[in-house]
Amino acid sequence: MPSVDQTAPRPRTGKTYWRSLEDFADTPEFREFMFREFPAGASEMLDSTQRREFLKIMGASLALAGMGISGCRRWPEEKIAPYASRPAGRLPGIPNSYATSMELGGVASGLLVTSYDGRPIKIEGNPEHPMNRGATDAWAQASVLELYDPDRSRHVMHNNQASSWDNFSSWAKSHFAALREADGNGLCILSEATASPSVLDMKRRLLEAMPNAKWYEYEPLNNDNELAGSILAFGSPYRAQYHFDRAKIIVSLDSDFLHAHPAAVKYTRDFASGRRADDAPKTMNRLYVVESGYSLTGANADHRVAVRSGDIGAVAGHLAKMLSSAAANWVGSVDVAKPMLQQMVDDLASHRGECLIVVGPRQPGEVHAIAHLLNEELGNVGRTVSYTARPDAKPQAASIKALAADIDGGEVDTLVILGGNPAYNAPADLDFASKLGSVGATIHVSSYADETSKRCTWHIPRAHYLESWGDARAYDGTIGITQPLIEPLFGGRSPIELLAIINGDDVGAGYDIVRRSFGGVIGDADFERHWRRVLHDGFVADSAFAEQSPTVRSDEAEAWIIALARLASQERRGLELVFTGDRSVYDGRFANNGWLQELPDPLTKLTWDNAVQLSPSAAENIGVKMGDMVNVSLNGGSHVEAAVLVMPGQHAQSATLTLGYGRNGVGRIAEDAGFDFYQLRSSDSMGFVGGATITKSSGSYEFALTQHHHALDTIGGKGTQDRLPTIFREANLDEYKEHPDFADHRVHVAHRLSLWDESNLDNADYKWAMSIDLTTCTGCSACVVACQAENNIPIVGKDQVKRGREMHWIRVDRYFSGSNPETPDSVAMQPVPCMHCENAACEEVCPVAATTHDRDGLNVMVYNRCIGTRYCSNNCPYKVRRFNFFDYQVREPVRETGLMHVKPSYYTRPQSDTHPLQQLQHNPEVTIRSRGVMEKCTYCIQRISAGKIKAKNDWVKAKPEDRSSRVTVPDGSVVPACAQACPAQAIVFGDLADPNSRVAQLHAHERTYEMLEELNPKPRTRYMAKLRNPAPSLAPAAPSSQGSAHG
Amino acid sequence: MTTLPLDNTFDDPTRRAPLVLNHDDFGSVTNTICGVNERPKPPRAWYIAFAISSTFLMVLGILIGYLFWTGVGVWGNQNPAMWGFPIVNFVFWVGIGHAGTLISAILYLFRQKWRTAINRFAEAMTIFAVICAGMFPGIHVGRVWVSYWLFPIPNQMEMWPQFRSPLLWDVFAVGTYFTVSLLFWYVGMIPDLATLRDRATTKLKAISYGIFALGWRGSMRHWHRYERTYLLLAALATPLVLSVHSVVSFDFAVAQVPGWHTTIFPPYFVAGAIFSGFAMVMTLAIPARQWWGLKDFITLRHLETMNKIILVTGSMVGYAYIMEFFTAWYSGAMYESFAFVNRMFGQYAWAYWIMVTCNVIIPQLFWFKKARQSIPIMFGICLLVNVGMWFERFVIIVTSLSQDHLPANWDYFHPTWVDLTMLAGSFGLFMTLFLLFIRYLPVIAIAEVKAIMPAANPHAHDHDKEASA
Repeated sequence: MPSVDQTAPRPRTGKTYWRSLEDFADTPEFREFMFREFPAGASEMLDSTQRREFLKIMGASLALAGMGISGCRRWPEEKIAPYASRPAGRLPGIPNSYATSMELGGVASGLLVTSYDGRPIKIEGNPEHPMNRGATDAWAQASVLELYDPDRSRHVMHNNQASSWDNFSSWAKSHFAALREADGNGLCILSEATASPSVLDMKRRLLEAMPNAKWYEYEPLNNDNELAGSILAFGSPYRAQYHFDRAKIIVSLDSDFLHAHPAAVKYTRDFASGRRADDAPKTMNRLYVVESGYSLTGANADHRVAVRSGDIGAVAGHLAKMLSSAAANWVGSVDVAKPMLQQMVDDLASHRGECLIVVGPRQPGEVHAIAHLLNEELGNVGRTVSYTARPDAKPQAASIKALAADIDGGEVDTLVILGGNPAYNAPADLDFASKLGSVGATIHVSSYADETSKRCTWHIPRAHYLESWGDARAYDGTIGITQPLIEPLFGGRSPIELLAIINGDDVGAGYDIVRRSFGGVIGDADFERHWRRVLHDGFVADSAFAEQSPTVRSDEAEAWIIALARLASQERRGLELVFTGDRSVYDGRFANNGWLQELPDPLTKLTWDNAVQLSPSAAENIGVKMGDMVNVSLNGGSHVEAAVLVMPGQHAQSATLTLGYGRNGVGRIAEDAGFDFYQLRSSDSMGFVGGATITKSSGSYEFALTQHHHALDTIGGKGTQDRLPTIFREANLDEYKEHPDFADHRVHVAHRLSLWDESNLDNADYKWAMSIDLTTCTGCSACVVACQAENNIPIVGKDQVKRGREMHWIRVDRYFSGSNPETPDSVAMQPVPCMHCENAACEEVCPVAATTHDRDGLNVMVYNRCIGTRYCSNNCPYKVRRFNFFDYQVREPVRETGLMHVKPSYYTRPQSDTHPLQQLQHNPEVTIRSRGVMEKCTYCIQRISAGKIKAKNDWVKAKPEDRSSRVTVPDGSVVPACAQACPAQAIVFGDLADPNSRVAQLHAHERTYEMLEELNPKPRTRYMAKLRNPAPSLAPAAPSSQGSAHG
Repeated sequence: MTTLPLDNTFDDPTRRAPLVLNHDDFGSVTNTICGVNERPKPPRAWYIAFAISSTFLMVLGILIGYLFWTGVGVWGNQNPAMWGFPIVNFVFWVGIGHAGTLISAILYLFRQKWRTAINRFAEAMTIFAVICAGMFPGIHVGRVWVSYWLFPIPNQMEMWPQFRSPLLWDVFAVGTYFTVSLLFWYVGMIPDLATLRDRATTKLKAISYGIFALGWRGSMRHWHRYERTYLLLAALATPLVLSVHSVVSFDFAVAQVPGWHTTIFPPYFVAGAIFSGFAMVMTLAIPARQWWGLKDFITLRHLETMNKIILVTGSMVGYAYIMEFFTAWYSGAMYESFAFVNRMFGQYAWAYWIMVTCNVIIPQLFWFKKARQSIPIMFGICLLVNVGMWFERFVIIVTSLSQDHLPANWDYFHPTWVDLTMLAGSFGLFMTLFLLFIRYLPVIAIAEVKAIMPAANPHAHDHDKEASA
């Protein structure tokens, strides 16, 4: 529904689906209804003036409910308002889906958002979108929680005092009118990176109206180096589009294209398709990764080499020397073992046209340029890599540097900051936060009253992307629409609406601005029809950037080589600090998102914090162990106190620092979480910087890790090593070719006898089952957040994670293998949901029969029957059951437990009234679990039911002669949240009773095995063994006899 | 009248060692034992002990309230160690509760006359220990308000408990054991209650004891029926001694957790229970005989005999520890072998070695007669055995759960302050009940003790004369 702007006049155009709804929405009754639509009392929470009133009333009624006879009642009274006339296309209780886009770092992902009675509750990838194809990353999945974040900014603030829209409008009207008179002299706009056609349209209008205004852009996690590399290589900016599905040999130089890349979802899918080696001729790609600390891509590599980030340029230089005549003069040492380097060169040379070299955003432009050169010379352009234009690309660090210089020069009177948080994340050398004070008027539009807002004259609450109109472009250039699914909960505005105020635009509402700019996108002819198409699809078909074919200026390669050599020698030896976006909170913008804070990092398994990641030997040299505090300082200048996390596979001369933590005063979740490493990041070393010193400091810090590093405990390490080959079965491609059934021979199963009569499931109508392909799973953990969103899984807080009480129904187990923790041979990633064992250990021991099998062979948990003996969890060998130790829906997720384990409010609020806002996100199809009951993965039983109901309805509606003898649920029509989100499509769900279903075929596959089959649980969730493809000359001994491992 | 020896710990097989010292007539026995209850004020030690234990009991009550109000998260239980202190305490207390019935029932059937001195308060100890034990599973569940679903009560849901679950067997085993132990204890006490009634100096006492004495008049018919009942109850209680801890061990043995899933558990648990039960009887008997002047009834010989049982059962437990390792190794099962090696040398090795030291190594001192007869040494050893047996349960439950099949789940259990305080509180509950028992009920079975005195046998003098002649 549109943003309801009560003041702006809206021009009437022809009636359409959306317009008619809008017309309907324009009646005061409907607005009141919209306002009242949320569960009892919630709407009052949205209004600051009524909030106190609401709390008062609730307090009083609670006291009565608690004290009086009515204390037995669990639910507050609700008024139910029936639809007098139902909006078209809306059935109460039937969720709708809308296609929209979310922009992150200037790149959109195409989403499909499920809305339940007007509340967006679940985000999925848009199945039609060329980049997403239905999948998403964890950030997009979790963004719905941000919509309902009670800590989001609710008020216009003026000099940190609550103000109002009226105050701001009247101020802005006169202020910007005066600026327009003055041609925008002294006006600067600082925007987040964006490719939104509407923003660019507004920018064009702004600069037309105020030619002297300046427009800057800043994004802390940016692609400046890629841009620089492209300009070096081609003379103008191009964006490389990789096609990993066509590449047989992939060399990644510090690039985390499977996770920290704007197109990671697509690249994961493409990469996965190159890893499926089941069909003849059984080939798969080979991935070499050269990086300083573990990235998700490194974890999925066939060969990974830890090299200081500062020395990776030398690897590129060496590759160039070996593979290109244009750069034959490279001299320099390379920190990679000779055989490995030679194999890499040989592989690249022998796979012309089907290999690929990708470089990460931290590496300087010259390394990118060399990669472009090599890709061209290896014949990869047009096959594994193509180039598109890169419109409006701007070097971000240079841009904010220029702005800082302008402020210093006194040229900035008015600064409008559209999103972003420069006071927190601008390069430290600019000291941007204190510079803000010297600007006459600063306006910051952002979702939170954050570090920047507090230093600005005006803070404007920003409408979430789920509550505002907008548009954006995906990595391939596809234009996507952002459409609101709900009225702005806190009355926020979008940046384009603010720009309209600045421009004095007569078109003020986001909806109209987007429509206007879309005129230039989809043409004015037959606009309404196209517009409706876009609203339906969520994106403009065939709007991707056109492919370009630039040629590399190979005659300049010599210069890059020289520059690279100079950089390499300049690059101070010694310890380097590597700055990287956090896999949970990105650049810090998701710091107040509980799902992401509690999402274990795929590799470190750290939640709720970041850390200085050091290699075991580096930690030993400094004399610190896991959790000790250290002082990280740079050239004796800036320094940060932070805690050490010892990380296998980290280069000994390199410390990885993830950004985005150490934020205070933003919200309850972000409070006190981690350490702020932006203080060490300066504008000339945004990627990494050498010459750092790390010294032991006093004290230690407790991390909340979901998986412990038992490498330190020799017994545990050996135990892990012994059992890993049976738990996580893997083979190299060559072994697989020779022994396709290798997975069957990793363990000896003595017998398949059972003490009991096993549940007879032979005649069941359905036999739901899941297959997880370990070959394609990258461990990205999008499934974990998707499950959390779908199944109303609460976050528990750092103190509870420390106690091992996280509630995730699916987790990703991570094991390192190899005898040396300094350089693990490989990483194993294994998603573990409930196995739905046919011979379930949990069911035997429950004294009250609260967990049993249903007719479809699901291992179900009857919450109402559970009394919480927790015996089932003890007996579950997979430990996938989760217990509600507290009423986690009520308990505040605290970081530390004091003497009392809960805050006093825990006792005073009944479950139904606790977090009225976050409750809006809850999926009504899934029960909220109270304290004291066990819960676990249900295979998304609510989706199974929906699929069955639909199948039954279809069956009934079908002509009798067309329908089958029994109702069958079409394969693929029931997709659990984890499988739906998986970018690698590693999780397949379906019905074993249908022999043609994908899952039935995969379960019969030779790579499929049952984890812990020696216990005879007969799990319905089965794994497909992992295949790796190391070069035969470098391959270690067969994995069945692999070295020691530690988890 | 002959002078009875003051030392009855001699090993001369030609002489029958007297079981009661310094008393040669029934009247003085009655006076001494009833004196414990009849003295106007108990000794100062009682007041101090009662103040301390009732304080702990109160703290326990408050913590249970806190627990119910807040959730079981106040304990250290976690994933993967979903059972922590509460179940450790449960098994510990059930184990303690073993000695009483063993002493009263099995030793009765075996005609071990020395049992009469200690059976009454060993049985009382059993009852109180089972009360402590029964409390923990009850408050341990996540939703206490529906914990009655554990019982097979007909209901509108038509839901029965799940009879395959060892937890349900536990409910029956512990419930039966408690009922039978209580009956046995009470029935055995009826003649003595009547004695107290008859000697009562106030009306209140006369009525109170009178009600529970069930109109006992000491007629031959009463005695006849009493003896029959007592024998039958002893026969009924005997298998329970073995069954209850076997069933408790099924909680673990039936599960498939490595370190739990072993067939040795039932006998091993029973031996351990008797071991810990005797140690607790000693822990209580030594101060009690001191403070209430019961040294003539609970003689050094009694204590020595019990020390011998502790030595035997402690060695059985040690044998079980060794056999566990052998079985794990012999099975060739990777997970089992790991569980045991990890117990010994892994992250909980400290707990394991406390257990071995206290349960196996230290009781070996009882091979020495000096140690068996030295009050401070035996008291110290028995305290350590109590500690060791608590740690045995901790080792079994927590170490096994903390590192089971999938290494990704492994974690380290930390108790919270609530865990520790509740453990102390359960001792408060136990001691409070025990101190009340000492104050108000006959601590020694008066009627039975009289039966083993030489005076009960009119021909005793003749035999003595013959023997010494």
